[in-house]
Amino acid sequence: MEIFLQQIVNGLAIGSIYALVAIGYTMVYGVMKLINFAHGDLVALAAYVGLTVLMQAFGMHITNLWAIILMFVITALFISLCGVVLERLAYRPLRKAPRLSAVVSALGASLAIENGIMLIWGPNIKVFPSNVFPNMRWHISGVVINSTQIAILLLSVILMLALYIFINKTKIGTAIRATAIDQDAAKLMGINVNGIIIAIFALGSFLGSIGGLFIGIYYRELYFQMGWIYGLNAFIAAIIGGIGNIPGAMLGGMLLGIFNVLIAGYVSNSWSEALTFVLLIIILIIKPTGILGERVAEKV
Amino acid sequence: MKKNFVWYGVFFAIAIIYPHFVDPSWVDIGTTFALYSVVALSQDIVLGKAGMFDMGHATFFGIGAYTAAILNTTYNIPIMYTIPIAIALSALFGIIISWPIIHLRGDYLLVATIGFNIIFYQALQNNVFGLTGGPNGIFGIGTPVIFGINIASQKAIYYFAWFILLITMLIIYNIDKSKLGRAFHYLRESEVAAESFGVNKRFYKVLAFALGAGLASLAGVIFAVQYAAVSPQTFNFTQSVLFFTIVIVGGPSSIPGILLGTFVMFVVPQFFREFATARYFVFGIAMILTMILRPQGICPARFGKLPKYIFKES
Repeated sequence: MEIFLQQIVNGLAIGSIYALVAIGYTMVYGVMKLINFAHGDLVALAAYVGLTVLMQAFGMHITNLWAIILMFVITALFISLCGVVLERLAYRPLRKAPRLSAVVSALGASLAIENGIMLIWGPNIKVFPSNVFPNMRWHISGVVINSTQIAILLLSVILMLALYIFINKTKIGTAIRATAIDQDAAKLMGINVNGIIIAIFALGSFLGSIGGLFIGIYYRELYFQMGWIYGLNAFIAAIIGGIGNIPGAMLGGMLLGIFNVLIAGYVSNSWSEALTFVLLIIILIIKPTGILGERVAEKV
Repeated sequence: MKKNFVWYGVFFAIAIIYPHFVDPSWVDIGTTFALYSVVALSQDIVLGKAGMFDMGHATFFGIGAYTAAILNTTYNIPIMYTIPIAIALSALFGIIISWPIIHLRGDYLLVATIGFNIIFYQALQNNVFGLTGGPNGIFGIGTPVIFGINIASQKAIYYFAWFILLITMLIIYNIDKSKLGRAFHYLRESEVAAESFGVNKRFYKVLAFALGAGLASLAGVIFAVQYAAVSPQTFNFTQSVLFFTIVIVGGPSSIPGILLGTFVMFVVPQFFREFATARYFVFGIAMILTMILRPQGICPARFGKLPKYIFKES
C-alpha cells in the first residue's frame, strides 16, 4: 500500500508535467485543428535554454532563489516568442492548404528544432544541477515526498487554475473559445483571429516551457531528442482527456502520469510505451473523443 | 497519357543502366530507393487514395521483413516461399489492426496508427516469443532463388527490387483505373456522398489497409534480403514519418509525385552525408519551405476536371 501511494505521488508529479505540455497541444488543436508536432521540441528547447540561463545566473553571485526566478522568467518569455515565430513562419502560410501539408510542416519544424538543439548544445547528455530546489524530504506515513515534487505540483496547479480562469472569465478567453468553435463566425463578431492564434501559441509555449523546465529539474538529464518522447506522451494525454478541451488535458496528463509509473512499477519498464498506446487505443475505441471530449455531429 | 509512358520508359531505362556507372554504395541506395518507393506507393493507397491518415506504415514494412527473416533463418524456408506468406500475414494484420479503429476521424486515426507502430517496435525490441532477436535483430538471411537463378549479387538484388517497383506501379495504375480506385477517391472526397452512392465505407477502408499492408510487406521481404539482416530501428516510428512525408511532399495519389518524393526525402540527404550534423536541421527547414511553396506536393495528382458550366452559377 505504501509503495502504491508512493507511486501515485510520483505519478502526480510526472502527470502535472504532462498536463502542462498537453495544454499546448490541446489549445492549438482546438483552434487550428493541427497537431503541433514541434511543441514537444519547444519543450526540450526550454529545458536547454533554462539550463544555460541557470548556469549564467549561478555565476552572477545572486541568491539561488533569484537565479531560479530568472531562469523561469527568461525561458518562459523566450519560448513563448519561439512559439509565436514558429506559427508565423511554419503554420500561417499553410492555413488554407490541405491539412496534411501543415502536419508535414510541423514535422519539419520539429526536425529543425531538434537538430538545432543538437547543433547549439551538442549531441551529448547535459545534466541539470541537483540543487535547483532546496533538497528537503517529508515522510508522511511511509510515503516520501520531496520538495521538487511539491514545487512541481503546486506551480502546475496554480498555472492551470490561472489558465482556467483566464479562458473562462476574461474577454480574451471568451474570444479564444469563440475562435475554437467557429473561426469565420468569430471573425464576423469582430474577433482578431490572427491575434487569437498568436495568443494561443504564446500561451501554449509558455506552459510548455514551464513543463520543459520541470522535466530538467525533475529528471535532470537532457538529450536533444527528448522532445519527441515527452511530446508524444503529452499529446496522448491531450487525446485521452479529449483534445481541444483544456480541463481534459489536465485530467489526461494526471491519469497518464499515474498510469506510467504504475506500469513501470508493477509491470515492466521495457513495455511502458507500448502499454501507454494500448491504453490510448482502447480509450479511442470505447470513447473516440476522449474522456471529456464532446461528440461533434458531422455536418453534411 | 502516351507522354507519361515515354517518361516512365526513360525512368526505367536510366534505372537499368544506373548500377553500371556508380560505386557499390550508390547501387545500394538505388535498391533502397526502389523499395522505399514501393512502401510509399503502398502507403499512398491508404493515405493518398483512401484519405486515411496513416502514420504507422513502417509496421507493415517491418512485418514483411521480419516474417521473411524468421521463416528463413529459424525454419529454413526459402525466401521466395516466404513472400506470399509475408504478404498474406501483413494484409491480415492490416485488417485486424484497422478493423477496430477504422471509424476514427482524421487525427485520431493518425495517433492510433502511430501507436501500433510503437507497440510493434517495442515488441521487436523485447524479443517477443524469442523470435525477433531483440534490439540486435536477425542476421544471416538467405537470398531468393528464381528458376534456379540465385539472386545474390548486389546488382541482381538491385534489379529484383526495381522489378518489384515496376509491378507495384502497374498495380497502383490499375487500382486507379478500376472501380476500387474510384471508390477510394470518392471516400476521400466525401464519405457521406460515397456512402449514399452505395460505397461500403468500412469494407473499402479496411481493404485499403489490407492492400497497403500487403504491398509494404513485399518491399519488406526484399529489404531484409538486401541487407541480409533486420533490426528494429529500421521499422521505427520515425521511419513511418519518413514514408508519410514522402507521400505528402511528393503529391498524394500521384505516382510520379511519390517517386519524386522518395528521391527528395531519401536520396537527396545521401548527397549531404559529409555534413551529417547540420543536414537534418536544413532538411527540416526545407520540409517547411516545400509545403509553403507547394502545399499540394511537388508533383500533385491531376484528376479529370468538371465541365465549366457546373461552376457558372457561383
